[in-house]
Amino acid sequence: MREVRRWGLFNTSAFRMSMGYTLLVTLAVCVTLGSTYLLTQSIIQGDVDLILDTELRSLENQYVRSGIPGVTDEINLRIDSWGRIGAVYMLADPKFERLAGNVTNWPFDGEPAEPWPEFRIESIEPGQSSVHPVRAAVRKLPNGDWLLVGTDMSQDRRYVRTFQIATLWGIGLSILAAGIAGFSFSFRLARRVGHVTDTCVRIMSGEQGHRLPVIGTSDEFDALAASVNRVLDRLEEQTRTLRATFDSVAHDLRAPLHRLRTRMDAVLRLPALEPGIREPVESSLREVDRLQRTLATLLQIALAESGAPLASPAPVNLGELADELVELFEPVARERGLTLTGRADHGVIVEGNRQLLAQLITNLLENALKYVPSGGRIDVAVKRLAGHAHLVISDDGPGMPAEERQRAGQPFARVGQRSGLEGSGLGLSLVSAIARLHRARLTLESNDPGLRAVVTLPLSAAQAPSPASLSRSMSA
Amino acid sequence: MAGALGRAEPGSSASNHSAVHSRSVHILLIEDDTEAARVLVTGLRESGYTVDHAADGREGLSRALAGKLDLIVTDRMLPHMDGLAIIQQLRRARLTTPVLVLSALGTVDDRIRGLKAGGDDYLTKPFAFAELLARIEALLRRSPSAAAESTVLRVADLEFDLLARKVTRAGEQIELTAREQKLLEFLMRREGQVVTRTMLLEGVWDLHFDPQSNLVDVHISRLRQAIDRGAERPLIHTVRGSGYVLREEEE
Repeated sequence: MREVRRWGLFNTSAFRMSMGYTLLVTLAVCVTLGSTYLLTQSIIQGDVDLILDTELRSLENQYVRSGIPGVTDEINLRIDSWGRIGAVYMLADPKFERLAGNVTNWPFDGEPAEPWPEFRIESIEPGQSSVHPVRAAVRKLPNGDWLLVGTDMSQDRRYVRTFQIATLWGIGLSILAAGIAGFSFSFRLARRVGHVTDTCVRIMSGEQGHRLPVIGTSDEFDALAASVNRVLDRLEEQTRTLRATFDSVAHDLRAPLHRLRTRMDAVLRLPALEPGIREPVESSLREVDRLQRTLATLLQIALAESGAPLASPAPVNLGELADELVELFEPVARERGLTLTGRADHGVIVEGNRQLLAQLITNLLENALKYVPSGGRIDVAVKRLAGHAHLVISDDGPGMPAEERQRAGQPFARVGQRSGLEGSGLGLSLVSAIARLHRARLTLESNDPGLRAVVTLPLSAAQAPSPASLSRSMSA
Repeated sequence: MAGALGRAEPGSSASNHSAVHSRSVHILLIEDDTEAARVLVTGLRESGYTVDHAADGREGLSRALAGKLDLIVTDRMLPHMDGLAIIQQLRRARLTTPVLVLSALGTVDDRIRGLKAGGDDYLTKPFAFAELLARIEALLRRSPSAAAESTVLRVADLEFDLLARKVTRAGEQIELTAREQKLLEFLMRREGQVVTRTMLLEGVWDLHFDPQSNLVDVHISRLRQAIDRGAERPLIHTVRGSGYVLREEEE
């Protein structure tokens, strides 16, 4: 859960999907408005070009009919139209000197290269002067004179500019709208998916009665919630059955052992018991106690491996617990000529059961005490590493063969059973079972020389790193 | 529990009991396993207690509600009515009689459930009879004197100032670690009572399982070194098959 929360909303697939959608919408809007713009512009240009072409042709006809004077007359006749429709005319000699028209100077450097040359013209009218863009067409008359026809484009340019601005606004607004829609869509989706995740996390941490909210919108989320709830109901039922079965098995195994022990106890309390009876009964009693311990371990492993979740987990300060156990074992280690040291960070808090975690550390310590020869060292460290709690118990003893180290994690793997040493060999199986119950990982590594047991546990949500709490408040 | 052989020392334990209880102490045992119950009842009577036995939950509850009892020892799984339900009914009736739960389940959360329901102590079957006796003794002593909280504990010439965290023997200060002090406090508060290894692991280290190592023995021997070394009359005594006791012995 924390991995999802770390980046919050931006890391959800809903967000990525809606961002992709936003991008697609933006692209579509750009293409549509852009092509409309280009089309409109070319239509306007085409209209202008047609008019210019027609004008030129009619002046050329005039030249054919009545020569230069005819053209000059015609131009002078049309000049007035500048004010009305923005028409520009000019007749120039081969050296581009003005002969007639409403343009004072030839606007180009000689003959323009492009078919529809454009230039700027300053219109001088009483009271005001303004610069206008002009699109023109130029033709050389058979006598070498130059004929220029142009039209004021400022109206069209304004129209195009307006269109341009409208297009840009359109694109901008649609990106914004798509963005907002995508964001709120992914936010809502993330929130509902978040409910599912939260519920699952709570159930995994022991709140088994928890269920997904069915809002009543009868959408796919409600359908999902309902079916997840059905699965959870069944799981809870199975867990209940499992525990009941487990309880009755434990009871059936312990009750006869209890009767046996009680009877032997009663025999030992008889007054004036002969040593010939006392001693065998006492040693049998020790055997019963050993049997009972093995049974307790087996039951605990079986319960942990059954997949039943950890009952009533609570925050446990793993660092403090490790130090307490180091303090408890230190005199025993010293008695055996071993050095036991602890380096625990007291800020490492995990979610779990204090007794089981203490049992885990105890078993690892007792395992080390059993195998490390006198003069050796055992070290217990608890630290926070990469968002996890690390419990490391290392020694410089004889270690363990690689293939045995790998088998250690398997349930009921009888590892650590080295020749000549007493022990049921269930200690490490219990360690791995408790680790599994805490969603932790147990790895046995070579310490070169010796054995290093590393237990990696998830940190308690109570001390999640700050980015998580940040995104949590965001999605809340 | 480990290695506790339950060997009674009739002389010392009988005198001990008579010294503590002026009148007969009345215990109700609720246990459906008749064979185990018979042996337990005999053992408890030999130890000087007056014992009643109920073989199922309903009978147990009615006796518990009716009689004037000093202590109830109840099995966890009983016919008709669960041991925990009995405790809940008792507590609802505002009866504060101490209850010791015996359970054949022994899982970590079963223990928690037992104490949450209002039980005062919890023992997993099978247990040594000596363990049961020690715990019964502890529960019986606890109830009347719990109110009398003193800030200085005294046993013979051993003094523990709880506020200053200072321990002296015959006026001479003894340096102890925090945990050794806790161990000593636990023993001094139960002066004259047998305290088992399991009780020490639970009370001093809050560990509710049996480590294989002789941890408690090593810590006691260290405490002994600090308290009793060179002393004429040692205060910490080993009770064979049971545990330890801190008391001044009259010689």
